[in-house]
Amino acid sequence: MPLPSQRGRLAYKILLWFLIISLIPMGVAGLYLIDISQASLHQQILGTEKSLAQSFAETVYKYIATYRDILEESAALPQFASGNKSEEQFYLKHLMSLHVAILELSVLDSSGHEVIREGRFLGPNPQLRNMESEGFFDTALARGEFIGALKRFQGIYPTVTIAVSIGSAKSGKIPSGILAAKISLNGLSSMLSMEFPPSSATSAAVAAPDGFLIAHSDPEKVYKPDARLNSEILKILTTQVADSGGGEMTLSNGQSFLSAYADVNGLDWIVYVQESIQAAYHTAARMRSQILRLLIWVIIAIIVLSLAVSRHITQPLRALKDAARKVGMGQFEDFPEVLTTNDEIGDLAQAFLSMSESLKEKTGELVDTKQELERLNRTLEKRVEARTRELKAAQEELIKKERLAAIGQMASVVGHEIRNPLAVINNSIYFIKTKLASVLSQDPKVSKHVKIIESEIQQANGIINEILTYSRQRELQPEPVRLNDWLEELLSVYPFPPHITLQKIFVPSNPPVEIDLTEMQQALRNLIGNAIEVMPEKGILGVKTFLSQANMAAIEISDTGPGIPQETLEKIFAPFFTTKARGTGLGLAVVKKVIDRHGGKVEVASIVGRGTVFRLHIPISQKVEA
Amino acid sequence: MTKQNHSKLLVIDDDAHLRESLAEVLELDGFECSLAGTAKTGLECAAKINPDIVIMDIQLPDSSGFQICQELRKRSKTTILIMMTGRFLSLDEKKQGFALGADDYLTKPFDIVELSARIRQMLTRRKG
Repeated sequence: MPLPSQRGRLAYKILLWFLIISLIPMGVAGLYLIDISQASLHQQILGTEKSLAQSFAETVYKYIATYRDILEESAALPQFASGNKSEEQFYLKHLMSLHVAILELSVLDSSGHEVIREGRFLGPNPQLRNMESEGFFDTALARGEFIGALKRFQGIYPTVTIAVSIGSAKSGKIPSGILAAKISLNGLSSMLSMEFPPSSATSAAVAAPDGFLIAHSDPEKVYKPDARLNSEILKILTTQVADSGGGEMTLSNGQSFLSAYADVNGLDWIVYVQESIQAAYHTAARMRSQILRLLIWVIIAIIVLSLAVSRHITQPLRALKDAARKVGMGQFEDFPEVLTTNDEIGDLAQAFLSMSESLKEKTGELVDTKQELERLNRTLEKRVEARTRELKAAQEELIKKERLAAIGQMASVVGHEIRNPLAVINNSIYFIKTKLASVLSQDPKVSKHVKIIESEIQQANGIINEILTYSRQRELQPEPVRLNDWLEELLSVYPFPPHITLQKIFVPSNPPVEIDLTEMQQALRNLIGNAIEVMPEKGILGVKTFLSQANMAAIEISDTGPGIPQETLEKIFAPFFTTKARGTGLGLAVVKKVIDRHGGKVEVASIVGRGTVFRLHIPISQKVEA
Repeated sequence: MTKQNHSKLLVIDDDAHLRESLAEVLELDGFECSLAGTAKTGLECAAKINPDIVIMDIQLPDSSGFQICQELRKRSKTTILIMMTGRFLSLDEKKQGFALGADDYLTKPFDIVELSARIRQMLTRRKG
């Protein structure tokens, strides 16, 4: 049997379902919210960027326009109309002192020659140049103003040249000259960097269509030789048709931006604002990570919760399972502690306990019944055996009885039939004896033969008597006597031969017995006769009475004859069994029959070479002798 | 040694040797013996000679000894009736015989001297 896992499959199922139920809606809702917020952010950032770009485009325009206006106003001043050089020079100095962004001021005559040149870093009397070939000269002459010619002052700082015609163009006269100024554009960068500090995620730039970087929120990017706007961005910006716009932009290096642009009104410059996607979507990303964190926490919480729940559910279930296994193996004791909680599991546990209780009862009953059955079986077997034995014994007894009855029947007929001729012979010999009394007295041989005939008649009669005694169906006629007295009388008339020594030992209590005198006398005579027969020369015949057991008295007849071998001893009480040359073999059978009829018992013990002992146990009479 | 006592004796037995030998032995003692082999002839003889003593077998070919005993006792209260048998008699049979009038029983073979003595004793007592 595999060891049960710590938690079981149920725990994992619960966990899985908890996760599915809680995480999917949460994840979906979270991601949906993120999308919504990201989209709105996108919109919002783009809108902000666009408005920032537009407003800065206006600022740039105003910045430029301010200096253009200053120059136009100055060109319209009388000093310039009059052409008074010293006054012009004085005024230009005054202008430069007012506006730090003005790096250089020049007055050109109508031929393009520099008349006056004032510069912050030029020193006194700088070299005057011929500016006719410069692009702005013709433009300014023709249109009255020029803004352009972007250059880097000292190779680093971006400048723009603004030129206005001297002498009002409105009057229709040909201008007398040009007032040109080189304006530093550092101010724009300063403004951008104030608006979008380099540390912020948003940057902004102002660029010319050819990529010349005019201003940038990061000064490091703009104050360098040949600072240009990224060519990819520039390409996208220059292909836009609208004055302003924006969107998501991805560069070839993988960087993505949310960017917006706006054309500067009246100039071909472009204001460009960008914010990196990462920064733009920073909030969304933070939301996402927070949701992710939340999800992780939820997962952990759910794992803990579901494990706790499944533990709460599976613990008693597992206990129940263990208990059920025990019950299955037939153990009804030492159940694991089953929680009796107030819920369905508790109900289940209760149901299980009552079930196992009932099972235990039923099993106990079964076991008891089985044991009882086995016991009954054994008893029955014993009884059957005993009964069989009894039946067999009874059958044997019956057969024996029937046999004996048949023998008796036959003996009776034979005896009767033989007694008649015996009686005739007896009568005849008596007649002869009487008639020939004188002859007999003279002839001893005839006398001897008559005696022989008489003796043989006696013997034949004795045999017939023996057989008839054994076989006759006579009713017992018990008479109360004192055992010792009765024996004494019997022995006193018995003709013991002289070589036999009689040894009598009688129990003092002289127990009262009820015996059929005729039969018991016959039995005793048979035993004594046998004893005398086995001691033909000399021997001791013992006659003893004693109290053998409760309510029994015994007569013991012992001899000092040759004894009886064990194998013979078992058969001596069988009728017609004899070891003698002559005899019916009924003597001891009669003894046994008589003692049996008296409700007693015959015992025999013999040692070959020492002698034989017969013990006749008969019941002591309970009647009090009168 | 023949003695004369003139007592009339009837022996009824189907065995000729037995009744003759018994009769002749008792004749030695001076009895006048008549013989019969069946119950019928026995009763006829008894009617004719009126015996003092009848010795009869219990089993006869044409009747039971008890019936003859009963019949004879009806005829005479004084006749001595002795039953003979070759087998053991039960106490009930003996009682029955005595009730029907039998005076004594003999079991074959019997001692002639003893029988003779018994008969004399009974005769003496009856006369006395």
